[in-house]
Amino acid sequence: MTTDPSPSARDAALDTLGRYRQQIEQLDRDLVSLLAKRVALSKEIGAMKRVAGLPTLDPAREAEVIRRAAALARDASLNDEKVRDIFWHVIGLSRAVQVDE
Amino acid sequence: MIIITRASITDAELDAIRERIEQRGMRTHLSRGVERTIIGCIGDESLLAELPLRSMPGVEDVVPVLKPYKLASREFAAAPSVVRVGDDPSRPGRVAAFGGPAIAIIAGPCSVEGPDMLRETAEAVRDAGGVMLRGGAFKPRTSPYAFQGLGATALKMLADVRRTTGMPVVTEVMDPRQIDDVAEHADMLQVGARNMQNFSLLSELGRVKRPVLLKRGLSATIKELLMAAEYIMAQGNRDVVLCERGIRTFEVATRNTLDVAALDGFRELMRRLAPFAAAAGRSLGASADGARAGAAA
Repeated sequence: MTTDPSPSARDAALDTLGRYRQQIEQLDRDLVSLLAKRVALSKEIGAMKRVAGLPTLDPAREAEVIRRAAALARDASLNDEKVRDIFWHVIGLSRAVQVDE
Repeated sequence: MIIITRASITDAELDAIRERIEQRGMRTHLSRGVERTIIGCIGDESLLAELPLRSMPGVEDVVPVLKPYKLASREFAAAPSVVRVGDDPSRPGRVAAFGGPAIAIIAGPCSVEGPDMLRETAEAVRDAGGVMLRGGAFKPRTSPYAFQGLGATALKMLADVRRTTGMPVVTEVMDPRQIDDVAEHADMLQVGARNMQNFSLLSELGRVKRPVLLKRGLSATIKELLMAAEYIMAQGNRDVVLCERGIRTFEVATRNTLDVAALDGFRELMRRLAPFAAAAGRSLGASADGARAGAAA
């Protein structure tokens, strides 16, 4: 059991917690907006691929994206296996808009 | 196909090998053991035919996995696997481990019949050394006129008892439409013997982030059971515990014949030496009373 904090210490902690949560919320908004930008760019890339006569699916390029993400994740002290999984989903978002065109 | 790497392999070398494989449109799965790390390749192996994998830095050996159940085979994993049930930070409570040094006992009523009965049973199970509570909410009955279980009401009772006793709970899911609801309330999802080869249910369970207790079908071979596990694992859920619950033989004095030799069969064949369980209640339960006391060890 932890001892009860003083009322003022508790208020200060709740205050800080609220601010951190706001920051998290802002980061989530940024993440989603970055994802939307990535998808929009992928759509353009899909169009350019068609003009250039290149295949829409490019597994070699996808593998490169995953490898880079894993290396960056390790540098940032994140679990690289989890980040790999996340990026396969991110690639899935981009791939869907290129294939659907 | 699995790639066994040298103990000295660096992360960058691992990344490079995986990139070469993923460039071909396959997926890789990494299994880190104490002595060796294994890269499992998932997909059409003919795509790897011309890759000089053996000569890549860090590679010790490249071995084809000949068994049809690749993910479930022992070759795919660097170390025996332990499936942890109830290991969810959003849910305070105890964790039950299958496949580790200790034998995990699951016990509880065949079907949940009321809050008091469930709580009393749960406390008895816990005091007797059990680590998990079972209890049926949706019951697959041979007769459509028999009691079909309390359904969603029973799920809530199970969740309540988990909160008060701290014991993780397992309950059967019979239909893909029940999965979300069951996963929300239970810590482990059970596939009953009659649904062992319900492949659409198995595939859906592969997408869930909860361990699955897969019971052997009444007339299923060990290979068929492992292929059923492979269905779940191929969709991404690697936490599968196999359960031997008795098979149908010529013997009618006992309701089912517990295939004890199968446990050794699992050990021999299965991935990561793994977690398996035996359900005693089914084999002992010729009488109605016996059948109520479904227990797994």
